[in-house]
Amino acid sequence: MTAAESDAIRRIEAEAISSRFARGWHCLGLAEKFKDGKPHTINGFGQKLVVFMGEDGKINVLDGYCRHMGGDLSQGTVKGNTIACPFHDWRWGGDGRCKGIPYSRRVPLRARTAAWPTMEQDQLLFVWNDPEGKQPPADVTIPVIEGATRDDWTNWRWTEQIVHTNAREVIDNVVDMAHFFYIHQSFPTYFKNVFEGHTATQIMKGVTREDSRRQREGGSGGGGPRMLGNTSVATYHGPSFMIDELTYHYEGYDLKSILINCHYPIDENSFSLHSGIIVQHSDALPPAAAEATAEKLSAFILTGFQQDVEIWKNKTRIDNPLLCEEDGPVYQLRRWYEQFYVDVADVAPEMTDRFEYEIDTTRPVESWKKEVEENLARLDAAEATA
Amino acid sequence: MTVRSDERLDGAPMRPVRCRRCAGEVLARKSSWEQTSIQWTAEARAACTGLDEDEHGTCPALRSAIQEAALTGGIEVLDD
Repeated sequence: MTAAESDAIRRIEAEAISSRFARGWHCLGLAEKFKDGKPHTINGFGQKLVVFMGEDGKINVLDGYCRHMGGDLSQGTVKGNTIACPFHDWRWGGDGRCKGIPYSRRVPLRARTAAWPTMEQDQLLFVWNDPEGKQPPADVTIPVIEGATRDDWTNWRWTEQIVHTNAREVIDNVVDMAHFFYIHQSFPTYFKNVFEGHTATQIMKGVTREDSRRQREGGSGGGGPRMLGNTSVATYHGPSFMIDELTYHYEGYDLKSILINCHYPIDENSFSLHSGIIVQHSDALPPAAAEATAEKLSAFILTGFQQDVEIWKNKTRIDNPLLCEEDGPVYQLRRWYEQFYVDVADVAPEMTDRFEYEIDTTRPVESWKKEVEENLARLDAAEATA
Repeated sequence: MTVRSDERLDGAPMRPVRCRRCAGEVLARKSSWEQTSIQWTAEARAACTGLDEDEHGTCPALRSAIQEAALTGGIEVLDD
C-alpha cells in the first residue's frame, strides 16, 4: 500500500438491499399458537401470509390475499380443512387450491394461490421459503432437538419481537467475538467458526466477568453457586435457525441448555426475532429449579437481544467492514450466507466448501483482563466512598 | 449482493498445505501462531477422515501439517 492509499479516507459502502428473501426453513414460533382454529396473519418475506390449522390438524401457510377479489384470508374463518375468505366465502385448501365457492356451481380454472411447505418439529412451526418455488430438498433439514420433547428438560420459554433492520445484522454476530465483551458483558477466551454446506457454526468458550457480576449482584455477591463460565456450540442450519448447545459451568456442576436464536424476514428492512430456551434437569437442578432457571435465562437472552437492537438501531449498514486480525471471518460468513440468496443452480463451491477460522485470543484476553481489573478497582473505590 | 473479498488477505494470501495422512490439499493462513484459517475444497474434505469424530474440530493431521508448514516457511506467520 502506498502512503497516499493509507492516507485516504476509508469510505463505508453499502449496496441497495435486495428484496429477495432467503431460501430455507424459517421458524414462525411455537406451533401451539397457531392451533386455536383461527387464521393468523404473518407478515413475512415481503408479503402477508395466512397461517391456519384445518380439521385434519395440519398447519398450512398460504398467501394472505384471496385470488378472487383480494380479500384478506387472515381475517377469514377456518371451515373444515380450508380457509374461507371473509369477502365472498371462497374456500382455499392447504395445497393452495380453491376447494369450493358456495354460491357457484364451478371453481374457475387457475384457482390456485401460493402455498408454503410447512413442517412441525419439536413443537415449533417451520415454513419453507423459496423464491424459485421449489419444494424443500430432503437433505436440507433442521435437526431434531432431543431435549425439546423429553421429560427431563423444561418446556420452551419462547420470546419474539420485531427488529427494524435487515436480517444480515443478526447473522454477522456469528463471527463477532469482540462484541460479546463490549455489548453483552461476556468474556470470550476461545472462538472458532466453521462454515460447511448450509451450516455455519460458532464455538465459543468464556469466563464469567467479575465486574459485571459485581454490578449485577452488588458487593456482597448474589449468594448461591458461582458461575465460572460457559461453553457454546451454536450452529445456523440454513439462513435463519440457530441451535446453540449452551453449557453453563458452575462450581461443582454443569447446567445444560439449548438456546434457539431464529428469525424470519418481514421485509428487507425488518425481521421477527425469536428466542427459545430449554434447560435440562439434573441432581443440582431438579425440575422446579430448572424451570426457574429457564425463566431467568430467557430474560437474560432478551436483555442480550436488547443490547444488540440498541446497536442495530443506530449503526449503518456496511458492506466493506474494516477488519483487524483479531476479528472473525465476516467476509467468508457473508459468502456462506449468499448461497441462500441465489438460485440453487448458482450456488458456487466457495459458498459451501468447508472453511475454518480460529481466532488468536491472546491479545483480546490480555486487554479484557486489564479492563475488568480497572472496572473492579473503580467499583471498590466507589464503595469505599459510599 | 456482490460478495467481497477479505482485505486482510491482500498481500498475505492463503497458501496451499498438503496433509500427509490423506494427501488432501487445503489453503491455510496464520496471522499468528495461535490463529489459523483453513479453506477446504470438496475434494480435500471428502478425503479427510480426521473430522469424523468432531465435525467442528480441526483435523489433527492437518493441524500438524499446517504447523510444520509454518515452522519451515511453507506458510508465513504474519506477526512473527
